[in-house]
Amino acid sequence: MDVKITKLFFLLTSMLLFVSCFDGTDFDQANDVVVTPEIELDLIYFNLDASSFYNNATNTEVLVVEDTTDLDFLGGSDINDILKGADFFFKFTNSISRGFNVSFDFLSQDNVSRYLMQTTVAPGSENTPVVSYFVQSLDELQIKELTKAKKVLVTVTIPSSSQDLTGVLNLQSKTTYYLEIEQ
Amino acid sequence: MKKLLFIYLALGLSVAVSQNKQLLYNWEVTPQTLMLNPGALVTNQFHAGIPLASQFHINVGSSGVSVFDVFADDGLDINTKISNTISKLSSRDFFTVNQQLDVLNFGWLSKGLEPMYFSGGMYQELDAIAYFPKDIAILALEGNREYIGKAYDFNDISARADLLTVYHFGVNKQVSKKLTAGVRLKLYSSLISVSSTRNKGAFKTTVREGSANIYEHTVTDLDVEVKTSGFISLDGLEPSQVRKKLLGRALLGGNLGIGIDAGITYQFDNELSLTASVLDLGAIFHTKDTELYKAKGDYTLNGIELIFPELENGEPTIPYYDNLEDDITREIPVDTLNTGYTQLRPTKINAALHYDFGRFVGDNGGCNCKNNGTKQKRVSQAGVQYYSIFRPRGLQLAGTLYYTRRFGNTLSIKTTYTLDSYSAKNIGAGMFLNIAGVNLFLAADNLLQMSNLAKANSVSLQVGLNYILN
Repeated sequence: MDVKITKLFFLLTSMLLFVSCFDGTDFDQANDVVVTPEIELDLIYFNLDASSFYNNATNTEVLVVEDTTDLDFLGGSDINDILKGADFFFKFTNSISRGFNVSFDFLSQDNVSRYLMQTTVAPGSENTPVVSYFVQSLDELQIKELTKAKKVLVTVTIPSSSQDLTGVLNLQSKTTYYLEIEQ
Repeated sequence: MKKLLFIYLALGLSVAVSQNKQLLYNWEVTPQTLMLNPGALVTNQFHAGIPLASQFHINVGSSGVSVFDVFADDGLDINTKISNTISKLSSRDFFTVNQQLDVLNFGWLSKGLEPMYFSGGMYQELDAIAYFPKDIAILALEGNREYIGKAYDFNDISARADLLTVYHFGVNKQVSKKLTAGVRLKLYSSLISVSSTRNKGAFKTTVREGSANIYEHTVTDLDVEVKTSGFISLDGLEPSQVRKKLLGRALLGGNLGIGIDAGITYQFDNELSLTASVLDLGAIFHTKDTELYKAKGDYTLNGIELIFPELENGEPTIPYYDNLEDDITREIPVDTLNTGYTQLRPTKINAALHYDFGRFVGDNGGCNCKNNGTKQKRVSQAGVQYYSIFRPRGLQLAGTLYYTRRFGNTLSIKTTYTLDSYSAKNIGAGMFLNIAGVNLFLAADNLLQMSNLAKANSVSLQVGLNYILN
């Protein structure tokens, strides 16, 4: 009796162990896993008053104003490896009665230009500000170049100016980053 | 050997309610029955677990997803399947690993005026639970582009992992003909512990009329914390030194804690009995080798505002980016602390009603004379069991219907049907074999899915070898 029961025990436990398996699965699929987050992030913004384009002290036009900011997050090698593209979106709202040339020059630490974007802004008026959009889409090669930059130089050029010029040039901007993270 | 190990580990794939040992509860397996209810009815005089083989228990898995959901060989793109799986899961779904190894387990009946059954030993336990951080996973896997206006909740982050050894000593006494009670003291020695369970706050990208830039990225009411103990002193050590250090901690050299198990068996009559127990009612006091990381605050990011200052020759530009980083650090400081903390053990509660029926096992007339006249076992027992465990997100519950059939004193088979929040078709079975006092048991659940573990959400395995003197 005991011998039979012992045999039954081992038979059943062995069945339990060996009947089980992973059917209909393919674990090699893990190699095909690709994660592709798309991230929306504000970039820069400014409000440039018309008075910035005239020097009252010297009574002279200021035709070019510029400013620079570091964008440290662009330069990292980690982001460089996974960044597959980016859309830069700029929205200008102009209530100054002049058009503008605006450039965004992405510079390396030692001020070598890595990527240049340029656009024009239509003139507006204080009562009816004019909105201009500028979108620049970068593919993988272009974004690789841009990510060698550490900072951006923003240059705003006005064709002519005067003491009684009024209004504001407003910029809002964002970037969509397309990432691709593979196994 | 590797294959065999894989099969054994695979058997442990996934549990719906981790740590529920419904098959071992109130069963013949003396050491483990006493570990699940210190007030269990003990009918033997002595037991000794085979060192390191007295009980091995493992389960690994998740509540809401099976291997098959993601790795099915069905021609569909795995990335689509991952995406579908994530949308199916909620932040209440969880992944668990629970493993226990009895290093020592022994017990003996102390005869005398007040007979009592003493038992003690030591086991090692690894217990980890991570709730699925759905919002954070979506943010990481898909980004925020398609989710403008959605609040990503940091409360979704809830995880805990503990590696510890437990030294225990219990006493079991038949208080009256009807009542048996028992209590077990436990001393915990934590080897490694990490937890992050009470997080709050949200991250959101919104479009708001009148905001300074296109978006507003806001972190609101952030309060997140990660607690670690036993990690920093291992940093930079060679593997052999790590092993040595962990061994020292296993031998009561870790952060210590104390706990208690208590339980009863109440015999209404010859057929009906009630059992109940509370396990791991206690805490570990992490006083040394701790490191806690805390981040707290609110912040709204609009990007970088340029102000086009008029710079004199050689004057440096404004460090906008550094200022931004400083702002964020000031508003949401990340503190690293080395203070101690106390962590409650995940307390479990068992309760059950048992009904014995059928003829008596053996033939000595209904009296087990070796055992002070307590009732003799019948061939069949059926009943209903309740189990719950306190987890970071509250109680997890399970209910079990079971049937036990004894074949002489040699073999006992227990079958269970368990229902919990995640599975309504969990059938388990266990076999207990006794040959000349040497006891071998094996128990596994979710047998319906045993033929293809890939589809299983819930399987657990317990095996053990003990010597019991009746």
